[in-house]
Amino acid sequence: MRRNTWILTPLFVTAIVVACGIALFAPRVALAHAVLVSSQPGANSTVSGPEVAVLLKYSSRVDLEHSTLTLLDPDGKVEKVAIESEPSPGLLSAKLTGLVKGAYVLRWQVLATDGHITRGKVPFQVK
Amino acid sequence: MIWFLRDIDLLTVLLRAATLAFEALLMGGVAYLLAVALPARASAAVEDFCRRGIRMAALALVAGEVALVSASGALLMSGSDLTLTDVTTTNFFRAGSFAILFAIGLWICARLKSSTATVAMLPLSLLLLAATVSISHATARIDYRVPLAILTAAHHLGTAAWVGAMPYLWISLGRVEDVDEARRLTERYSRMALLGAATLVSAGVGMAGFYLGTWSALYTTASGVMVVAKIYLLLAMAVLGAGNWLLVRRLASDPEPLLARLRRVAEAEICLGFLAILTAASLTSQAPAVDVTAQDRLTAHEIYVRMHPEPPRMTSPSLAALAPPGSLAVAVADSQFAPTVHSDDTDKAWSEYNHHWAGLIVLIAGLLALLSRHRAMRWARFWPLSFAGLAVFILLRADPENWPLGPRPFWQSFAVPEILQHRLGALLIVVFAAFECAVQAGKLRTRWATYVFPAMCALGAATLLTHEHSAQVKEALLAEMSHTPIALLGVSAGCSRWLELRLPRSRMATIAGYLWPLCLALVGLILLNYRELA
Repeated sequence: MRRNTWILTPLFVTAIVVACGIALFAPRVALAHAVLVSSQPGANSTVSGPEVAVLLKYSSRVDLEHSTLTLLDPDGKVEKVAIESEPSPGLLSAKLTGLVKGAYVLRWQVLATDGHITRGKVPFQVK
Repeated sequence: MIWFLRDIDLLTVLLRAATLAFEALLMGGVAYLLAVALPARASAAVEDFCRRGIRMAALALVAGEVALVSASGALLMSGSDLTLTDVTTTNFFRAGSFAILFAIGLWICARLKSSTATVAMLPLSLLLLAATVSISHATARIDYRVPLAILTAAHHLGTAAWVGAMPYLWISLGRVEDVDEARRLTERYSRMALLGAATLVSAGVGMAGFYLGTWSALYTTASGVMVVAKIYLLLAMAVLGAGNWLLVRRLASDPEPLLARLRRVAEAEICLGFLAILTAASLTSQAPAVDVTAQDRLTAHEIYVRMHPEPPRMTSPSLAALAPPGSLAVAVADSQFAPTVHSDDTDKAWSEYNHHWAGLIVLIAGLLALLSRHRAMRWARFWPLSFAGLAVFILLRADPENWPLGPRPFWQSFAVPEILQHRLGALLIVVFAAFECAVQAGKLRTRWATYVFPAMCALGAATLLTHEHSAQVKEALLAEMSHTPIALLGVSAGCSRWLELRLPRSRMATIAGYLWPLCLALVGLILLNYRELA
């Protein structure tokens, strides 16, 4: 599929599309509040197992209780990761255990205290 | 259903915009009743209308908050194992629930006419404000939470006193019993609006200082571009507001026509004000500029490379040069989970060619509309016909992998939402072109029909102000840099056409009559310089 956002630019096209149901047809808007500023392990980095400390730093305060971490292991299995603590505002820590050699993806979903939800992933390798 | 979930992010932005607008209307209604209508000894009809307006705004806010909390809750649960019970313990749920309770309280107070109930509206409004601010950008900041929360509250209050109260003045002026009452109301409202505008602007400047950090953020980040859009809308409102201020001073000399003009200008001002609120909602969906790293910001050189004037691309890459289309089944599946797609240079050249032809058509439409102002060129009033050509162009070129250019079958390709969107757009352009032609030719004389064009312009601008183009931050921003001016010109075209239609014969109506075709032509020029390739 080609990128066809050009169609939205002529004034009337956009106007008419809106009239027909903006919620269904308009492209998505990025909700970018709690942005991941830095991570440990870093994205696409290689770390040593079997235990890996996770530290995720966000640009804003996050609601710890309503944020989730999951780990996708090399076999494609998904496991929930317990968030241990918030050492300082906007910083989440957790511990991954029992990691074997292979490619992992740490998926995160955080609820910022302003009510916005953001998601992302941190792929990394265990040697 | 899948489309709905895919666009739920956008839905929450729109619902936020709606709740912001209803909050401004509700608090603006209370401010108008307490600071304008009652002290100005408004007639019973005007006071009743105010109370009814407050009740309607309260109900709308309740509906908006319920929808926003539900959408946010669904979004939170869809990506985790959180349950509905977990959602009820979140900040946004608590804040939304309190906002609903306070709005219901205001609805009850507006229904009861006792002085106690009327006075109780003030603390209830302040509590509603506190609930809204408790889930604002400010609360999520790592630093300076308290000063930012105070500035946010002041920004909301200023918006309510200026923009939110304006519709109440507008309808009051249609219900006043005499010119004296109209003058009392407009004078009191003008003072409140001035104070509101000053509060809104001062708080806005303070917040911009925190959230933008540097002047260069105004053009190197998406939130900076949105702030510029807000400034434009507020300046346009200020110009109209200043015009109304002068009209109020002349009301004593020639009340009837001036009162009509006052109402018409207020209509355009209301439209601009609520678009500014929509822009504010869009702004809160962006990361504050101060959080955007240097690598995600545009440099002056990147902006120059993309935006400097160049001859439009009037030759298209050949169809054979485009990447061969994959299977329709894969495209349908992709569209459900990966709405943003990547394109190579040939695709971009194809897209540029499309933009440039669309720009040429819009430019021609604008110039014809301008020419049609002169008696000798009345034939040019059929300018909407040029859009029929645009519809054919969209059908042929928007989705080249489908019939008639590509191998994918015509009817089956409707299963891809984006293609359905394009085809509906093309169909509706044809309908619109025929409709507006009938209006311009004088065959369709009903009032509502003449208002379709300005309404479409305003709605189109609203879409452009809220949608994003690419997952890549810089690409999205570069696209926004050409789309935001188009949106602002769209608003200006819509408002000026509205004023031309609504104002009695006057110099202002004549200027407005020249302004909207000019805006249309400028949209065409911007499209002609649109580029995706460096």
